[in-house]
Amino acid sequence: MTEFLSTYGVLLVGMVLAAILALSLYLPLMAGQLSLASPGFYAVGGYIAAILSTKVFLADGETIQPFPIQYILFEMLVAGVISGALAVVVGVLALRLRGIYLALATIAFVEILRILSLNLEFTGGAVGIFAIPQPFSDAINYLWIASPLLIVSALFTYRLERVGAGRAFIAIREDELAADTIGINPTYYKVLAFTLGAILAGLVGAISAHFLNTWNARQGTFDASIAYLAFVLVGGSRTFLGPIVGGMLLTALPEVLRAVAGINGLPTWFAQLLRDGRLIIYGILIVLVTIYFPHGLVSPNWLERKAKTNASEAMQRKAAESAEKNI
Amino acid sequence: MNNSSPLLEVKSVTRRFGGVVAVNNVSFEVKAREIFGLIGPNGAGKTTLFNVMTGLTPPTSGTTIYASKDITRLAPNQIARLGIARTFQNIRLFGNLSTLQNVLTARHIHSHTSALSAVLGLPTAIAEEKINRDKAYDILQLVGLAQYAAERARNLSYGDQRRLEIARALALEPKLLLLDEPAAGMNANEKHGLSDFIKQLCDQFNLTVLVIEHHVPLVMGLCNRIAVLDFGELIALGDPLHVQNDPAVIEAYLGDETALAKTRRPASATR
Repeated sequence: MTEFLSTYGVLLVGMVLAAILALSLYLPLMAGQLSLASPGFYAVGGYIAAILSTKVFLADGETIQPFPIQYILFEMLVAGVISGALAVVVGVLALRLRGIYLALATIAFVEILRILSLNLEFTGGAVGIFAIPQPFSDAINYLWIASPLLIVSALFTYRLERVGAGRAFIAIREDELAADTIGINPTYYKVLAFTLGAILAGLVGAISAHFLNTWNARQGTFDASIAYLAFVLVGGSRTFLGPIVGGMLLTALPEVLRAVAGINGLPTWFAQLLRDGRLIIYGILIVLVTIYFPHGLVSPNWLERKAKTNASEAMQRKAAESAEKNI
Repeated sequence: MNNSSPLLEVKSVTRRFGGVVAVNNVSFEVKAREIFGLIGPNGAGKTTLFNVMTGLTPPTSGTTIYASKDITRLAPNQIARLGIARTFQNIRLFGNLSTLQNVLTARHIHSHTSALSAVLGLPTAIAEEKINRDKAYDILQLVGLAQYAAERARNLSYGDQRRLEIARALALEPKLLLLDEPAAGMNANEKHGLSDFIKQLCDQFNLTVLVIEHHVPLVMGLCNRIAVLDFGELIALGDPLHVQNDPAVIEAYLGDETALAKTRRPASATR
């Protein structure tokens, strides 16, 4: 077990972080907004943690072993607040656009941040920021920070889907105009959904900066936008479980394929495909899932059946109560 | 508000779409507790007028006053909060949500606890959610859709979807209800039932109703007063009997050979 954990520590932490990033894309999508801005906020969060830990908490060249966890928590707080504030500004401007135009504007936002971080001095230019201090001796220990964040954000999204604000998101997704005429302010709720997603991405960025040890302009780029979108599309875009499952599966998939390729007796070409053609398989999988599971692997349909029986029971109880009153 | 002042005033409202004048200088008042009919041939500008009143389409000129407040430039959600609810000619439900959730969503303006306290499941939020849920069930029972509470809205029959739209509008607890062709696609029997249903709602909820309808007998039997639009202009206003015998109305509905010869506007103006 210990051996397994130390071998796959990096992968497990990566899966958990991917699941949270997928949630960060799912939140605006709940309100019908296809935003690909998550990697941008992820990058911002990462730079905040990198700069705070290497330049503010520690003087140049100074080291503390291990780096205190409460510093990381503070960096996450700052990353969340700044990502959220930035999201309100970007959201108010960008969310006037709809559908594919919003997606394009958010890609532009990610690109602007990338160019900025490549050229600014305090982000370390093309080299970036390296030797970000480590709080743990082993990668697997990052789960102590990452898993609670996943659990909290999953619970948050689960509850959100069941209360007024979440219903307002979904009403906007279903029919923005009709939502407006029943008193839901679409701009407010779209910006709220976008901001919640941005905060999550910023928090993950702050963890990742330590986890990856270096941070530069290659973190959180357009490729990442597409990867996160794939997490949500493959996992499912109609319930909070979808992005979590999608993020974990797609992050683990390349490693699983590598392991399968190692099985003895496979034809050489096939083993080679599994090992080196991961991206081909990845692509084929995305195409197949979107064709055969248009709502993703985790569809609310099989969750719905239970809700339906609960609701009809409640109705029967209510009918019985009112019948009693009449007698 | 006293009874003499009207609940809704439409003051010389004009709306142009490019070169087309959809609504042309229309003025009328709707009194509180009135069932007011808005009729006219296809493309007369009735729905555009509804869109102006609910803030979906700002007027090119003119004002709309509701309960002595100028609502001309308000957003649809602000107007909804003031107590104006509407249904749509082409049904606009939240198709993937259940019947109950559709009505529950419209309780939004009556929810005062914050999103955060709801997510955290604080007692006040839970209590409020329960009140809203009960209210939504009651409304579903009233319109006769309670047995479909858990069904997705898009799976309901056409007539039931229309009733669900009315239920969703009622969940706002409006003072003024705008119904855009509520009888479309209903048979004669259902239309008769609808007329009684609207009257019942009006009494039960102290509603003022503004209804767009093509079916003339329904309007005549239901409405206290009727406004007739033709090519965006108000051509008649008054009680049903008066309007029914108005030569301009007869001309608009049945056509007039001499009028045809000197067509006031090209047919394309009716969009």
